[in-house]
Amino acid sequence: MIFSSIFFLFVFLPVTLVLYFVLPWKLKNTLLLIVSLIFYAWGEPVYVFLMLFSIVFNYISGIEIHRYREENNQRFLRFSFWFTVAVNLAILGFFKYYGFLITNLNVILPMDIPYKELALPVGISFYTFQTLSYIIDVYKGEVPVQKNFINFGTYVTMFPQLIAGPIVRYADIDAQLARRNLSLYKFGHGVAWFLRGLGKKVLLANNIGMTFDAIAAITPDERSVLTAWIGCLAYAMQIYFDFSGYSDMAVGLGKMFGFEFVRNFNYPYISKSITDFWRRWHISLSTWFREYVYIPLGGNRVSTLKHVRNILVVWMLTGFWHGAAWNFMLWGLYYGLLLLLEKYFLAPKLEKLPDIVQQIYSFILVLFGWVLFFSPSLPDAVRYLGNMFGIGGHGFIDSTGLYYLTGNLILLVICFFCATPVVWKKFRKFSLKAGTYPSVTATVVYAAIFIFSIAYLVNATYNPFLYFRF
Amino acid sequence: MEKKQLTREEELKRRKKILRERSAKIYFKITLIFLLFMAVACGFLIFEPDREYSASENRMLAQKPEFSLANLASGKFMTDMEDYVTDQFFFRDQWISLKVLEDMALGKRESNGVYIGKQGYLMQVPENNPNMDDVQNTLDRIRDFAQRHQDINTVMSLVPNAAYISTQLMPANAPVRDQSQDIALAQDTVGSFLNFVDLTETMSSHRDEAIYYKTDHHWTSLGARYAFDTLYTALGIQQPAQDYTIYPVTHTFSGTLASKSGYNRSQDTINIYVPKDVNTEYVVNYVEEGEKTASMYESSALDQKDQYEVFFGGNHSRIDITTPLDENKNLLIFKDSYANCLIPFLQPYFRSIIVIDPRYYYDDIDSLITDNSITDILFLYNVDTFMTDTSLADVLAPSAEENSGQSLAEDLQNQEGQTADTPSEEGGDL
Repeated sequence: MIFSSIFFLFVFLPVTLVLYFVLPWKLKNTLLLIVSLIFYAWGEPVYVFLMLFSIVFNYISGIEIHRYREENNQRFLRFSFWFTVAVNLAILGFFKYYGFLITNLNVILPMDIPYKELALPVGISFYTFQTLSYIIDVYKGEVPVQKNFINFGTYVTMFPQLIAGPIVRYADIDAQLARRNLSLYKFGHGVAWFLRGLGKKVLLANNIGMTFDAIAAITPDERSVLTAWIGCLAYAMQIYFDFSGYSDMAVGLGKMFGFEFVRNFNYPYISKSITDFWRRWHISLSTWFREYVYIPLGGNRVSTLKHVRNILVVWMLTGFWHGAAWNFMLWGLYYGLLLLLEKYFLAPKLEKLPDIVQQIYSFILVLFGWVLFFSPSLPDAVRYLGNMFGIGGHGFIDSTGLYYLTGNLILLVICFFCATPVVWKKFRKFSLKAGTYPSVTATVVYAAIFIFSIAYLVNATYNPFLYFRF
Repeated sequence: MEKKQLTREEELKRRKKILRERSAKIYFKITLIFLLFMAVACGFLIFEPDREYSASENRMLAQKPEFSLANLASGKFMTDMEDYVTDQFFFRDQWISLKVLEDMALGKRESNGVYIGKQGYLMQVPENNPNMDDVQNTLDRIRDFAQRHQDINTVMSLVPNAAYISTQLMPANAPVRDQSQDIALAQDTVGSFLNFVDLTETMSSHRDEAIYYKTDHHWTSLGARYAFDTLYTALGIQQPAQDYTIYPVTHTFSGTLASKSGYNRSQDTINIYVPKDVNTEYVVNYVEEGEKTASMYESSALDQKDQYEVFFGGNHSRIDITTPLDENKNLLIFKDSYANCLIPFLQPYFRSIIVIDPRYYYDDIDSLITDNSITDILFLYNVDTFMTDTSLADVLAPSAEENSGQSLAEDLQNQEGQTADTPSEEGGDL
C-alpha cells in the first residue's frame, strides 16, 4: 500500500486513527504493530512472514547480546553479535543481490548457474538497516535492550516509515516507544507535514515524472541537447519530490501517532558542494553509513590512504544499497571520488567562489549523477551524457525539445522554487502574521493541496473503455 | 546588562508563544478539514450505493471484491479492493474533471496519448515505434496478393492522420511521426504491382476545413469526400456525382479522443452525404450477422456514446452491398473503420461491394474473389492503424490448398494465434 492512494487515505488511515485514539495507551503499540503488519502484507502477503522472522530473530538476538554484555562474556558477545549481523545481511543479500551476483558469476565463470530472480521484498533495505542499528547499538551498549516484544515489533514495522524511510535509528526512538505525548497541536503539525508531502509526491513528482518517462523513451540519436537537459532536470525533480514527499508524509504520520522522526531532506538542491549535498539528501541513510560503517572503519582520523579507502568503501556501499546493479555502484563511486576531490583539493578554492557559482557547480554534478542513476546500463548512461553535450544527438535545440520545454515550463518553474527554501519560508512567514486573513489563506492552501491531490489519486483508475476500433 | 538580556530572552519566548498559537490555529483548521474529509469520504463509501457503470468512461466500475484465501495470498484481493474504493469514490466524474482542469492549468498539451490541439481539436498521437518487420510483412503480402490477381484492378490508399495533416492545430512543436515516409515505404513496396493513390496532398490542401473530427480519431465525411474525388478515377468510375445532399445527423458527437484524454471541450457534427442524380438503391447484407437492411446508416447509434457507428453500425467482418446496376463492376474492400464513411460515396457505381474487415474475417479470400467475380479491389486504411495492425497480412495469405502440408499446419497455427489475439466483438482495441 502506498500513502498516495485513495484506499490508504480514506480507508486504512481513518480506521487506524480511530482505533489508535480510542484504545488505551497500553494497547496503542499493539495496534500499531498489527496495522503495520497489515499495511505491509497488503502489498507483500508472503514476505510478511520474512519480516516476522526478522523481528523475532533480532528481538531474541538483542536480548542475548545484552545478556553476554552484562556477563562480560566477550567471546560469546562477539560471536552472537557477528552472527546476528551476518544473518541480517544474508537475508538482505539473498533477496536483493543474489540474482545480481549469479548473473555476474555466470559472465565470469565458464558455467551457467541457474537461478530464479526473486521479487524484492518491499522495504527490506530500510527495515534491515533499522534492525542493524538496534543490534549494533545494543552491542556497543549505547541503547538499552528492548525486552518488550510488542515495542520492538512496532519499531521495526512502523508503517509510516516502513516502505521508504526515513531509516529511524533505534536510539532516536527508544524512549518514544515507551512514552510519547499526543496533542492536537502535534496532530495538526503532522497533518501539515503529511499534506505537504502528498502535494510534493502527487502534484509535482508524478507530473514531472511523466515528462522524464517520455524523454527517456526517445532514442538517443533523436535527443537534442535541450531535450536531454530537460529530461535530466525532470528526473532530478521527480526523484527529489517523490522521495522527500514520501519522507514528509512519513514524518507527518509519525507526528499524528505521537512520534518524532528525523527529517530526511533539507533542500539538497541548494547545496554549495557535494559534501553539503550529502548532508541534505537522504539524511537518515548517510547518517546510518557514517555511524555504522565510516566511523567504525576509522573515519578520517586515519592515514590519508586509509581515509580514501574508507570513503570509497562507504560510497560504493551507499550506491549498492540503492539497487543491485553496476550503475548504482558507479553512482556511489562517483560521489566517493567527488567527495575526496573536494576534501583534498577543491574545498578551499570552492569556498572563495560566490554562493551561486558553488550551487550551480554542485547541482550540475548532481544532475550528472542522476544520469548514472536512472540509466538502465552503463552504455546508456554514456550515450545520455553524450546527448547532454550534443554528441550523437539531434542538434542543440529541436522542435521536440521546445515542445517539452513549453509543455513543462510552468511545472519546472514551480518545482524549481519549491526545491529551494524560498517558497516555504515566504509561506510560513506570511501564514504566521497576525490577523485572520493569513491564517485563513494558509488553511485554504493546505486544503487546496489536499483536494488537488485527491483529483489525481481518483484519476489513477481512469481507464476509459475504448469501445471503438479503427 | 544582565537584566536586558533576560528581557530579550523573555521577548523571544513571548514571540515563540505567539507564533505557536498562530500555527496552532492553522493546524486546528487543517486537522478539521482533513478529518472531516475522511469522514465524508468514508460515509459515502459505506452508505452510497455502488455504481455499476460509468457513462463517461463507458466501462463497468470495479465492484466489491470477493474474499478468498487464494486471492489474499496472491494479493489480488488487495489490488481489487484498492480499485474498488477508487472507482466508487464519491463524485468520481467530478474529480476527474478537476484533474483535467489541473493539467490544463499546468499547461499540459498531451493526455493519455492524445494531443490537446488548438481550437478545441484533439488528435491521436500516432504510434511512433511500430514494428517495422510486421509492416514489411503486410506490404509483402499485399504485393504477392496483387501479383496473384493481376487481372483485377487493385487500388491502395493510406489516409494520413489528423496529427500529421492538421499541423496548424497541433500544440506547438509537438513531435509527430513523419507519416509521409510510411506512405512512401508502402508505395515503394507495392506501387509497381497495383495502383497506389497518395492522399497526403489532397488532405493537406484541405487542412483548414473540417476533414477530421475534433473529438474523434476518424476523418469526417467531408474528408472522405475529398479522398473520393482523388480516388474515383483509379477505381474506374466514369461519371461520379458532383452534388450531394448533406444531412447533419447529430451535433452532439463526443468521440473516442474526448473519452481517452478526458478533455470534453467540443462537440462534433456528423454529416451524411447523399449523392444526387445517381442510383442510390441498394441492399446491405451483414453476412455474419445474417441481417439485411436498405440503409448504410444505423440511426440507433446516434443514441449511444460512439455516434460514428452511425455508419454501418460499426465494424463487421463482412458486409455485402448490392445495387440494381447493370454494369458488371464488383468491388472488394479491405479496410479499417476509416472506410466506413467513405463507402457511401462508392456505393452508386458498383453492382456489388464486398467490405472485409480483416480483423474479424477468417475465410478464404481467393475463392471469395472468384465466386463474386470481383473486378476491382481497394485497400483503405488510415496510416496509424496500417502501421500497427497485423490482421491484413493473415487474411491475404494464399489459400491453404495451394500450400504443402507443412505450411498448411503453419498457416493453421498462425490463424489460431491470430484468432486468440484478435479482440472479440465486445472488446475494444486501440
